[in-house]
Amino acid sequence: MTRGEVFQKLNVIFCNNFDDENIVLSDKTSSADIEDWDSLEQINLVVAIQDEFNVKFNIDEVNAMKNVGEMVDFILEKIGA
Amino acid sequence: MREYKISDIFVGMKESFSKTVTEEMIQKFFDITGDENPLHKDRVFAETKGFPGRVVYGMLTASLISTLGGCYIPGKYCLIQGIEVRFAKPVFAGDELTVLGEVNRVDTELKYLEIKVTIWNQKKEKVLRGLLKAGIIDE
Repeated sequence: MTRGEVFQKLNVIFCNNFDDENIVLSDKTSSADIEDWDSLEQINLVVAIQDEFNVKFNIDEVNAMKNVGEMVDFILEKIGA
Repeated sequence: MREYKISDIFVGMKESFSKTVTEEMIQKFFDITGDENPLHKDRVFAETKGFPGRVVYGMLTASLISTLGGCYIPGKYCLIQGIEVRFAKPVFAGDELTVLGEVNRVDTELKYLEIKVTIWNQKKEKVLRGLLKAGIIDE
């Protein structure tokens, strides 16, 4: 899976999670850019990501995901792409 | 009150409790929410719409999910993150409801769980289907 494909899937997850079809992610998108992205939503996002990509994250990794680019990096690492 | 920690929780684990809905509870719900819709407040109106009496607020029934999470499973360490509900059948004053929760997902690393919720009336009819998403704050 390419970085672009991961990005596309992640964008869908974010749109669904925040009920906002207008979200367009970039590497630098962070919780500062999405009003409802708080610690609880971080867990919801990670749960959805785990389901979508069939991967597991530990809590240190979850806490280390400070922006979408880092999320994508973790996902790509996990799926071995 | 149960005090389950994340290590105690497993997929398939169940908890349940029962509660009878009273006229007083309906009135208290109105006092809190101000929802004066006649389906809940006006017996005659409800009957003209084909119901045998005033319909209990769906959100009153759904509020029992809070009790399920906060007191039964996981109980003391529950932090409710979200609830999804579907109201399958109407509930009426006097109905004895049984709330059943069954864990269908546990993430020990994220301390997160999902519980399938069903609420039944005394006639064994399913009146609500739902999903409770919760974190566990056991440290």
